[in-house]
Amino acid sequence: MVVPTHRRPPPIYRLARALRWISTIVLVALIIFAGTVVYSAVQVARSSAQSRGLSASFAANGTVEVGGSFTLSNPGIYPIDGFKLTARVANSSGVNLGQIGVGPANIAAFSTGVFPIALYLPVATNGPTASLLTEDQYLRVNAWGNATYAYLFPLSIELSENRSWGAPFEGFAASVGTPSGGGGTITIPVTVTFSNHASFPDTGTLTFLIESATQVDCGGGSFSVAVPPGNLYDQTQDVTLSSGCSPSGGQILSTYSTGGTPISLPPEAIP
Amino acid sequence: MSVSAGYVAPQSETAGYRIPSLGYRILVAALRLIPTFFLLIALPVAALSFASARGIALPISTYAVTVWGIALMSLGAARYILKPTRAFGPVSIAASAVALVYLVYALSLSPYRLTVPGGSASIAAGYATFLELVMIVPAIGILVGILITIQDAGSRTERLLFDFPA
Repeated sequence: MVVPTHRRPPPIYRLARALRWISTIVLVALIIFAGTVVYSAVQVARSSAQSRGLSASFAANGTVEVGGSFTLSNPGIYPIDGFKLTARVANSSGVNLGQIGVGPANIAAFSTGVFPIALYLPVATNGPTASLLTEDQYLRVNAWGNATYAYLFPLSIELSENRSWGAPFEGFAASVGTPSGGGGTITIPVTVTFSNHASFPDTGTLTFLIESATQVDCGGGSFSVAVPPGNLYDQTQDVTLSSGCSPSGGQILSTYSTGGTPISLPPEAIP
Repeated sequence: MSVSAGYVAPQSETAGYRIPSLGYRILVAALRLIPTFFLLIALPVAALSFASARGIALPISTYAVTVWGIALMSLGAARYILKPTRAFGPVSIAASAVALVYLVYALSLSPYRLTVPGGSASIAAGYATFLELVMIVPAIGILVGILITIQDAGSRTERLLFDFPA
């Protein structure tokens, strides 16, 4: 007997065949998806995230501001969702100086995310970061970020590196010379030296105060400062001491002012 | 002519269906192994070797990929050869189950953490959701195998009319 093959297949067979088709379609779709994701991810990796226009300067609030922008291009065909980046900066002693955050943000396909960044590094002498003002050192930058690429692939990145820091008042020293004069007026030369190792100029006023061992104000003065990056500063000024005030055993207190909050420099002891 | 005992003569033509010979099926199964070999073993191993040569830690060993690939290839070939028999359904289930276990194994390795050689950056990429979607395929495969087994249990030749029409 010849069974005609044009008859309708049994229900179970039809169901199995339909499922097989669905399975094949799903598999092909996933393979195409995976291929395009890999291709797009390579495009994103090649475009490489960048920090642009980074610059440092003294801020009005008595800190050093590192500002610029962080750019992440997404030339791929899938979006980057929930992009978030945090960076923390510590000094050579491991003391946390500050942190910046970017996002969370979504970066659509074929677009670029530009995020302004501003990091304020405290440079006050009474804090743990005093050396930042007067000592070159390496700063530890730890960054970590999260994002989801192409809807299904969560990514996280951790980055750790050392960045050199050039102190704006590297090797700062204030010293007094031999007193001179008579007849009730005694002057003493005060010399201030330092090198500007920062990437920005030291521009402003450097005010100093000679304090006796008993913390009496013996006199003071100020220097006008305009030191480009990489230059040495070495200036001397005669200061008239207050009557009967001896600077011996005291100290020289200096502050740098660039229009905003004055920044205290490390005190220098007078022998 | 029955096919329940195994295989029929070359180009056997029965009532409405025509089953290729065992030799022909083995030949076709062997030819199908070529693209499968590239997809399951050659390409992954090449990619892993490429990464390993550049000091990048591997998410899975080449040995594991090879073993799993051989298992899947073998079951795929056996499935094709046994298509005219009642063993087709169970072998289909086995092949899909092995693929599913392979995916579960790969899932356990997510996320993949990559440390850039010579650098201080590490990247972790999660692919669990994607693999869970891929698991739909062998899961359906198991279901299909069960349906075929049920079909063959009821009427062992009915499927052959449509799988191997004369």
